Amino acid sequence: MDTLMKILNEIDDSINWEKEKAVIDDRLLDSFGVITLVSELEDAFGIEIEASEMAAENFNSAEAMCQMILRLKEK
Amino acid sequence: MAYHTAVYLALFLPLALLAYQLAPKKVRWCVLLAAGYSFFWLISKGLVAYLLGTTLFTHYVGIWLGWMKLRCRTEAEQAPKEDQAEIRKQYKRKEKWILAGGILALAGVLAWLKYYNFFAKNLNALMEISGSTALLPAKDLLLPIGISFYTLQAIGYMADVYWEKVPSEKNLGKLALFLGFFPQIMEGPISMYAQTADVLWEGNSLKGENLSKGSVRILWGLFKKMIIADRLYVLVRAVFDYYENYNGIVIAAAAVAYTVQLYMEFSGCMDIVIGSGRMFGVTLPENFNQPFASRNAAEFWRRWHMTLGVWFKTYVFYPVSVSSAVKKWNKFGRKHLGKYLTKLGVSAIALFPVWLLNGLWHGPQWNYIFYGMYYFVILLGGVALEPVRSKVLKLWHADEHALYWRIPQILKTWVIIFAGELFFRANGLRAGLRMFESMFREFTPQKLWDGTFLGFGLDGADYLAIGTGCLVVACVGMIKERKLLGEEGLQTLRTPVRWALYYGLILSVIIFGAYGVGYQQVDLIYANF
Amino acid sequence: MQIFKNILFILILVILLTGISGWMESAAKDEDLVQGRNKSISRIRREPDQTIDVLILGDSLSYSSIAPLILWKDHGITSYVCGQPGQKIQETYYLLKTALEKQSPRLLILETNVLFRGQGRLDGLEQSVAEAGNYHFPIFRFHDIWKPLLMEKLYKGENYKGFEIRDGIQSYKEEDYMKESMQKKEMGENVEGYMERIVEMCREKNVEILLLSTPSPQNYNYRKHNTLAEYAQKQNLSYMNMNMAVKEIGIDWKTDSLDKGDHLNLSGACKVTAYLGEYLDKSEWKLPDHRGDAALSAWEKEAEEFEKKVAEKLKVMRGK
Repeated sequence: MDTLMKILNEIDDSINWEKEKAVIDDRLLDSFGVITLVSELEDAFGIEIEASEMAAENFNSAEAMCQMILRLKEK
Repeated sequence: MAYHTAVYLALFLPLALLAYQLAPKKVRWCVLLAAGYSFFWLISKGLVAYLLGTTLFTHYVGIWLGWMKLRCRTEAEQAPKEDQAEIRKQYKRKEKWILAGGILALAGVLAWLKYYNFFAKNLNALMEISGSTALLPAKDLLLPIGISFYTLQAIGYMADVYWEKVPSEKNLGKLALFLGFFPQIMEGPISMYAQTADVLWEGNSLKGENLSKGSVRILWGLFKKMIIADRLYVLVRAVFDYYENYNGIVIAAAAVAYTVQLYMEFSGCMDIVIGSGRMFGVTLPENFNQPFASRNAAEFWRRWHMTLGVWFKTYVFYPVSVSSAVKKWNKFGRKHLGKYLTKLGVSAIALFPVWLLNGLWHGPQWNYIFYGMYYFVILLGGVALEPVRSKVLKLWHADEHALYWRIPQILKTWVIIFAGELFFRANGLRAGLRMFESMFREFTPQKLWDGTFLGFGLDGADYLAIGTGCLVVACVGMIKERKLLGEEGLQTLRTPVRWALYYGLILSVIIFGAYGVGYQQVDLIYANF
Repeated sequence: MQIFKNILFILILVILLTGISGWMESAAKDEDLVQGRNKSISRIRREPDQTIDVLILGDSLSYSSIAPLILWKDHGITSYVCGQPGQKIQETYYLLKTALEKQSPRLLILETNVLFRGQGRLDGLEQSVAEAGNYHFPIFRFHDIWKPLLMEKLYKGENYKGFEIRDGIQSYKEEDYMKESMQKKEMGENVEGYMERIVEMCREKNVEILLLSTPSPQNYNYRKHNTLAEYAQKQNLSYMNMNMAVKEIGIDWKTDSLDKGDHLNLSGACKVTAYLGEYLDKSEWKLPDHRGDAALSAWEKEAEEFEKKVAEKLKVMRGK
């Protein structure tokens, strides 16, 4: 979780990542931001995020991202 | 039988509603399906075979994918733990091939019907330059109505099954209905399987609220199309078809007029479509969201033809941007080029196919391809300039939400939109370029009021109707954008006020609509794509 | 409760529509306020009640070929052309229905070219819905009247009881276009259904029907003749094909064609009308001679003016 927070704040520190629940739906992060985020996450956690994971509900909040990372790590 | 015609509004839709309501709940989906196929038949006759073929094929691919997934799961469960990953990987590869085959087949049919002649013509031209004779004969290919729209829906469904976003559909009827719901056939909106398939299938009874809200939505669409778009059509055609005779402000005004025409037409048609869906209790995805309030080109494309944008983002942009090639570039870039250039590179790689396909999707003409590339360059430029913009904002301590910043941004976006639509409408790329260039010659604003514009088939009364209509649409847009009426919309108003608005809407469509003697019936623009 | 509300809403809407329709219809009696094909509706509604004995319907061939004021002058027959360019059978039907509201003609002459103007099934349906709407709620037909009223712009046009003076000449290079044949050209889709309704309406109101094919090499041939002759016999209607009698009528294709054998010009129309007048005189229908009828003195005046104008034009046209 800490690593995730660090990455998120690096990408955009103007977003309140702990509270925000609609990062994608409210367009706080645009699609280019999402791509950057994906590659950062892959590097940091050694996971592979495929096209099927590219859905708003996986990126809307730090919590959702955390869950996705845990799920992918298990694979 | 386009959606704005008397046959659709006064006969087809009411009869479909009646038959739907009278049918028992269990077979209502059949009524909708029959309505969809008769609608298609009435317009494209035997070409309905294409829709049927696409449906059968998509159904089959879906089932195949579903079956592979099932087998993969059972086999992996039985296998020892260390082999499971390998089994999954193997199946994944097979599924990938199935999906690729499915997409290629559907896109192939679309490409064949739509682009064969374009390809042949350009190849022949090339051959002629090199001195040989023409190679490919032109063919008389008839395009089934709406093929560009249902093909995208079918591809989206296959990808969704592959990604396990939706389970594969066993029931052929349900899938057929998803691809052939009659309001959507001609011009979209392009919906995803998860959005509309279930509710179409359910066969819920009609509700008074849905019927009345749907009707109002339809009337609103007619208002936009009949009062504004069908009038501007006259002016737009007069200038674009004889562009050699005009330059300067006339061309610029025609570009603006076309943009407004296209918006009123397309979004008006969407109002009719979404209203029709609403009457059956089906919520179709929105296609427009006040596009002229956009602050940049990227935002414009999130507010204009939204379902096409979402489709490209979901099925082209993201898959490309997380593909292994892009990931490799990412790794390489971050090591050697730094963040900024890497991001720019990724954006370019992911954006290029989207905008090439967007241009091609609109049709086999160089000006559409140019139109796609135009937005590619502008959007990429937006990404490239992002750091500069942030710096400027910081340096001046400017507030990016303040009006002094927002309004110039919106106006700048308007210029981008108008120029883009100029190329989009022009009769070929060469005409588009010439029109663009001639815009800067003899730019005499007095032509706007010296009577020049009365020579294009519209009189003062028409301009008055267009102006007033646009004003009404702008006000409604403003109310929606700022959510002045809240979620409930018109329902918050008291009955007499609401009714007065309804009557006003009905009567203004009937009285000020451009139909009947002295007008031409204008076909839907997007029905040709 | 909700049901009552809905009914009330629709009731008010219908009242609004009928009210505005009524107002527009009466405003549209001023034919300068309407344009194009709507003029036919305004004009026939403006004629004094029960004065027209022969009603003529059809497309542009009708108002290019038959001049009611000549029929008046020579035979005292009151007739009126309700022709429209490219008239569709639905328009024919509703125009007749409109005319019969205020007129009780003894004879309906139908220019037969309309019967071959078929539409696809969908177009036909669209046209049927539109014309029914126009008829029952004239607000649809005359909705555009706000424009001339607001801008004070009038749609002026000459009117000779529906006839149009067309004085151009483009000769038709004579050919035998009525070569005998056994073949038939089918009537347009939708047409038979509407024809049935037209025939029935006429029977109810005691209006005789004459199917008339005016001379037009571009629009008629023997195949159409066969179809029409057979149809007339089947329906027990009178049919006259002037294309079979071009010589007797005295048509000279060098001077009498407006546009290379499509429409007749004024010179041709005079000959056709004269021929038609003779035919009507001798016919079983016994159309009354109204000349000298005090109530119809307006016809007298109009006919005089028309005659003068025609004489001038003919001098130029035939002098060539």
